[in-house]
Amino acid sequence: MFFFILRRLGVLIPTFFGITLITFSLIRMIPGDPIEVMMGERSLDPALHAAAMKRLGLDQPLYIQYFDYIGNLFQGNLGASLKTQQSVWSEFTTLFPATLELALCALVFATVCGLLAGVVAAIKRGSIFDHGVMGISLTGFSMPIFWWGLILIMLFSVQLGWTPVSGRLDLAFDVQPQTGFMLIDAWRAEMADPEYNAGAFKDAVMHLILPAIVLGTIPLAVIARMTRSSMLEVLREDYVRTARAKGLSPARVIFIHTLRNALIPVLTVIGLQVGTLMGGAVLTETIFSWPGIGKWLIDAIGRRDYPVVQNGILIVATLVILTNFIVDILYGIANPRIRHAK
Amino acid sequence: MTSISTAPTAAPVEELAAGYPSPLKEFWQGFSHNKGAVAGLVFMSIVAFCALFAPWIAPYDPIEQFRDYFLTPPAWADGGSSQFLLGTDELGRDILSRLIYGARLSLLIGLVSVVMALIPGVVMGLLAAFFPKALGTVIMRLMDVMMALPSLLLAVAIMAILGPGLVNAMIAIAVVSLPAYVRLTRASAMTELNRDYVTASRVAGAGLLRLMFVTVLPNCMAPLIVHATMSFSSAILEIAALGFLGLGVQPPTPEWGTMLASARDYMDSAWWVVTLPGLTILVSVLSINLMGDGLRDALDPKMKRAA
Amino acid sequence: MSLLQIKNLSVEFGSEKNPFRAVEGLDLSVDQGEIVGIVGESGSGKSVTMMAMMGLLEGQGRIVADELTFDGKNLLTISARERRKIVGKDIAMIFQDPMTSLNPSYTVGYQIMEVLKVHQGLRGAELRARALELMELVEIPAAKTRLEAYPHQLSGGMSQRVMIAVALACNPKLLIADEPTTALDVTIQAQIMDLLVNLQKERNMALLMITHDLAVIAEVAHRVAVMYAGQVAEEGSVPQLFRHPVHPYTQALLSSIPEHSKGARRLVTLPGIVPGQYDRPSGCLLSPRCPYAQERCRNERPGITAHEHGAVRCFYPLFEKKEAP
Repeated sequence: MFFFILRRLGVLIPTFFGITLITFSLIRMIPGDPIEVMMGERSLDPALHAAAMKRLGLDQPLYIQYFDYIGNLFQGNLGASLKTQQSVWSEFTTLFPATLELALCALVFATVCGLLAGVVAAIKRGSIFDHGVMGISLTGFSMPIFWWGLILIMLFSVQLGWTPVSGRLDLAFDVQPQTGFMLIDAWRAEMADPEYNAGAFKDAVMHLILPAIVLGTIPLAVIARMTRSSMLEVLREDYVRTARAKGLSPARVIFIHTLRNALIPVLTVIGLQVGTLMGGAVLTETIFSWPGIGKWLIDAIGRRDYPVVQNGILIVATLVILTNFIVDILYGIANPRIRHAK
Repeated sequence: MTSISTAPTAAPVEELAAGYPSPLKEFWQGFSHNKGAVAGLVFMSIVAFCALFAPWIAPYDPIEQFRDYFLTPPAWADGGSSQFLLGTDELGRDILSRLIYGARLSLLIGLVSVVMALIPGVVMGLLAAFFPKALGTVIMRLMDVMMALPSLLLAVAIMAILGPGLVNAMIAIAVVSLPAYVRLTRASAMTELNRDYVTASRVAGAGLLRLMFVTVLPNCMAPLIVHATMSFSSAILEIAALGFLGLGVQPPTPEWGTMLASARDYMDSAWWVVTLPGLTILVSVLSINLMGDGLRDALDPKMKRAA
Repeated sequence: MSLLQIKNLSVEFGSEKNPFRAVEGLDLSVDQGEIVGIVGESGSGKSVTMMAMMGLLEGQGRIVADELTFDGKNLLTISARERRKIVGKDIAMIFQDPMTSLNPSYTVGYQIMEVLKVHQGLRGAELRARALELMELVEIPAAKTRLEAYPHQLSGGMSQRVMIAVALACNPKLLIADEPTTALDVTIQAQIMDLLVNLQKERNMALLMITHDLAVIAEVAHRVAVMYAGQVAEEGSVPQLFRHPVHPYTQALLSSIPEHSKGARRLVTLPGIVPGQYDRPSGCLLSPRCPYAQERCRNERPGITAHEHGAVRCFYPLFEKKEAP
């Protein structure tokens, strides 16, 4: 197991440096003069221009620039936003809980529903339920989620008035951001001041439902399909026949002998969904005006705030590879053949 | 003279053909067995036809603004007019015409970006398989890096650098879908490389290029074709997403995603402006994915046996 | 009364309209303490018969029989729950490929103890002790450490021993061994076979040995049924059947064993393969391959008829035929 982790780390580190190379070059691949593009001015005063070049280190040779960039990264200096002058890291940490809360809820929704649907579809293979699950999941997989979000808002918020249109919480509540997770903060605020903040938690939940469904739709479809095919594959295995020949109950055969093995590839797929969720967060947060890092990045791109774009993407990508690393380790724990490999 | 000499040999060949269905026929049998795939094919044929002959099919110019008809509902709804079958948008443009012209763009960008990813992807994948030590490792690490970035985020970043526009969108989508092609080609080429026929060809003195493209590649085609179909559909989704974010094709060019960018403001007043472009995207992508499933059934003998 | 009694068993797959009969009109009985062999080429319906009897076909096959009883219980009408009380306890089965027949995610110990827990309700230290005892019974060295081993850490022979331990856990009355040695190395094959036969003698259980290897049957079995295309072609006691095969198919099978084709015997070979779903002949199923086939064989299906030493499914059994020198 130790060697297994070590080997995975050996892949992780070069990947990280590869990503720094990409984010480093991003800003330098801007066609034309980067300073002019960033400042949004055509004929900038040459002195100011030179000062800006120097400040951003753009007057140095490329390899020095890269080493400076890496050096800054390791000192925790991720640059500052051109607009707010705040450090990119502090902006990220304030906004990230919102995205994490949304992504976790979406993932839980997708995993629970996807596993259930996939397992039942596999057991009842060829039934109407199976065809229904497969049809719906292919539709979900094909869904343009930004449109899906609009349709849900149109239906549930505008027509039926069940859920709020956007944001994380109604402005009427007095909720102090403590953990950054609105569900927890709203719950605490409601406990602290039950009179003024009555219904704050419910309001936070209502704000969360639609975005979580929208963000979870594609992972849900992927997980359901993967679970089904993995279950069907394992059900054909000799050891499942052995389990039946032991006279075990169908529930035991399915949950102990089949699902355990079928889950191994599904686990990897769930891990890979983290990337999908981060990408989907960009769209979902834009539609629902959810103040998370997806919206932050899109806004930064819109106003050509390159330090934010550059290092925001670096942070997100690092998060994704870290999650995949953790999933790999979990995969090793779930699969004894890998755990024991030297 | 030649006709006489070929006549006797032609007969047994024909007999054989009757016994074993031709690969194309066998493929069609496998494909048409899947009803969803056929439905997808039919719908995509209609979309492709509309895209090809848009100027003749579309009732109006897609950017022509009818000042007297802002937000006209579709023909069947209250207040609709048979003049505009699917209604008009906030600038009085005919939605049906925009959707028909939009098909052109979506299919074009999808097709070009698939080709732009497929060719370098296959070449890099084959190289990685044939030279697994140094070159292969470098290529695969590079692909790992690209896979680490969420595809939409990477596309958005590329668009942020290159600036919005049609060609840039194609490039961004091609770059994003490249790693999957490389990995897929490498994986299937690696399995094929261990087969005896490759060794036989090597022993027979086949050159590297011949080994790569004539011996190995054709046997890796089935998964590649299936994947190309699937990535075609995700390309359409990504263009639409970029368009929606305002980073893709710029207005007033009719593009399905771009059409939705401003639709948010009309959610409570004009449902058709919101619904129709998205529905078109959904049904098109669904059709292509259904076709992909059918292709997989028809091309992948392993899946065929399992079914 | 026989421990296992099967009369006129048929198993059908596929649609109602276009069924494929994997097993047709099969009769078989096994007594307590008896070793019965079933031989046949692959696809002759040997395994399907056993799977059908144990209820392992999972509703894929349609099972019809005049009688299907085990230990006085009618397996045709029994509920699934009742059947599960018998299967794995009184009837146990081991399979062809031990490496894939054990669940890779659980330790060997868990997989042995699972049966003991489910069927005998053993718990705790008693459970562990019994599992250990079983592993020693099947002669697994270092049983204590192997209890914690995962299947991928064991060799094929060891895995098959574990499978046997699982099968014997509840002292079954009938053990079905479906080609138990085919997937193993030649040197291991004899060890496993010896182990099975010794255990059978020790515990006086019935052993049903499915194989395509006649040599194994000749060595260990008391009685043998030869299957061809889902039917029993010939059945009889081992010495009798091996000395005087009366069915052309049995004769051909026997002559494919080197020891039997020695000397003056004419080597009978059967060209062709077992008929599949689409090429079943209308007459005797062997007729296209049979060197003795007559007009009647091509048009009519023979039934199985008893004779003094067993039973045979042939219009023209080779009783009097003495091989020309």
